[in-house]
Amino acid sequence: MNNETADRIVSWMMIPLGLLGLLIWARALDAEMYVFGLSLTLFSTAFGFAQIKRHYDDADLAGAHAAAHRGGQPRG
Amino acid sequence: MASPVMVNGVYPPVEYNEEVVRKFMIAAMFWAVIAFTVGVYLALELSWPEFNLGYSFTNFGRLRPVHTSAAIFAFGGSVLFGTAMHVVQRTCRARLFGGRVLADFIFWGYQFFIVMAALSYVMGFSKSREYAEPEWHIDLWLTLVWVLFAVVFVGTLMKRREPHIYVANWFYLAFILTVAMLHIVNNLAVPVSFYGSKSYSLFSGVQDAMIQWWYGHNAVGFFLTAGFLGMMYYFIPKAADRPIYSYRLSIVHFWSLIFLYIWAGPHHLLYTSLPDWTQTLGTAFSVMLWMPSWGGMINGLMTLSGAWDKLRTNPGLRFSVTAVGFYGMATFEGPVMSIASVNSLSHYTDWGIGHVHSGSLGWVAFISFGAMYYLIPVLWKRPEMYSVKLIAWHYWIATLGIVLYITSMWVAGIMEGLMWRAYDSYGFLQYSFVESVIAAHPFFVIRMGGGVCFLTGALMMAFNMFMTIRGPKPASISMPHGYALAGE
Repeated sequence: MNNETADRIVSWMMIPLGLLGLLIWARALDAEMYVFGLSLTLFSTAFGFAQIKRHYDDADLAGAHAAAHRGGQPRG
Repeated sequence: MASPVMVNGVYPPVEYNEEVVRKFMIAAMFWAVIAFTVGVYLALELSWPEFNLGYSFTNFGRLRPVHTSAAIFAFGGSVLFGTAMHVVQRTCRARLFGGRVLADFIFWGYQFFIVMAALSYVMGFSKSREYAEPEWHIDLWLTLVWVLFAVVFVGTLMKRREPHIYVANWFYLAFILTVAMLHIVNNLAVPVSFYGSKSYSLFSGVQDAMIQWWYGHNAVGFFLTAGFLGMMYYFIPKAADRPIYSYRLSIVHFWSLIFLYIWAGPHHLLYTSLPDWTQTLGTAFSVMLWMPSWGGMINGLMTLSGAWDKLRTNPGLRFSVTAVGFYGMATFEGPVMSIASVNSLSHYTDWGIGHVHSGSLGWVAFISFGAMYYLIPVLWKRPEMYSVKLIAWHYWIATLGIVLYITSMWVAGIMEGLMWRAYDSYGFLQYSFVESVIAAHPFFVIRMGGGVCFLTGALMMAFNMFMTIRGPKPASISMPHGYALAGE
């Protein structure tokens, strides 16, 4: 398994985790489960968005490196 | 497992994942301050109960697991995760298996576990199992994070470029695998509802107690000992620039320790309804544990042979070496306390609290501080810590704190034990329980003073760490070699 595959699996894993959090939050029978469900949803959303941001940051960085390699001329 | 491709007969340089290690070091420092602050507050409550303040969430019973979990799992766990990820990469000369996102998930997932556990304690939810208080859903989350951590660690070992698995990794692996087994078995429970936090243990009666202390003692053995021994075997040779005194002894130490530790749990249940033979088994294995523990201590201390002068100039190394001394002391005291006749005096008294803290402050925290003082400049590419003098101040104030803590608890504990068993000439108990509490009060206050010293030292370290990270990064710097020194 290469690193990109692992990155994708972990990032996609946030969707079922976030939905599970929503379900627990919605149907919680006590305060503890309410807080846990809400926190799990927030955690999964924040982690997922952080990975999306990081993906585009890396792509920007790679683009900047490639441009520097071509003598500072941006593509297009 | 795919092997790295050689170019012109040599492997390309490894780009280690240091980002996750840096995050764990920052988290460890943060949680250390939290754990020690809550500890001091609890000591204040025990000295003057008015400080319970009358609120449910500031009650001793709710804050106590916050303190133990913050110290063991948040501070100790973050140091263990971070150093394990650093050591396995360096000694295997391989980047962490599984990529950056998985490592990130392990970091944030573990922090999420800690925050959820602490919140649940403060809200009054607990499984009432010592060192395993979180309810079933939080346990399941930790299992997920832990299994992924094991996958990353074992995966990195499998793609290593070094033919040999360095001994520190053996200890880390024992810590990871055994804690996984302990955590799963001890927390087997039936939830009342999928949407409710309450659950009931799968075990009952004395079997439940036995499982609890099988877990509890081996949490000490494999979380607080094996993992930190991995740290000792990597960071002391690195900081002292000397090979391990005896690599063969380290292997004997490893196998004898992991074989003996797993049987010692019943010594927590002497004079209970546990069968006598089980109690005796626990005592016998606890006494036998003394030997491998001291074998490891000797190996750690003798690694300093020919380099003792470094203790004068390297206060970070001083932390590590003093930790090994405390490890030797605590692992002698433990077997003594497991002997039934001694246990009849010491059990349920503050002697136990003193023993636990000589291990947790003297061994666990000190070996962690030593490793962190070595790692912080390495990870942030700085020549040294911001202030070496401040490290020395930290060392002395923390040592003073431990001495105050453990001596006061020894005296209080033995006094309590003697008062509880004293009879008058008519055969009645000579003292009521509350008289022993009143007699112990001055020692509770001294204990709090020790805690304040220890917390002050941690705040100095946090300041030193902050200034080191914030300080200027030199253009070029020679870093230590990529793998630990080994061999006889």
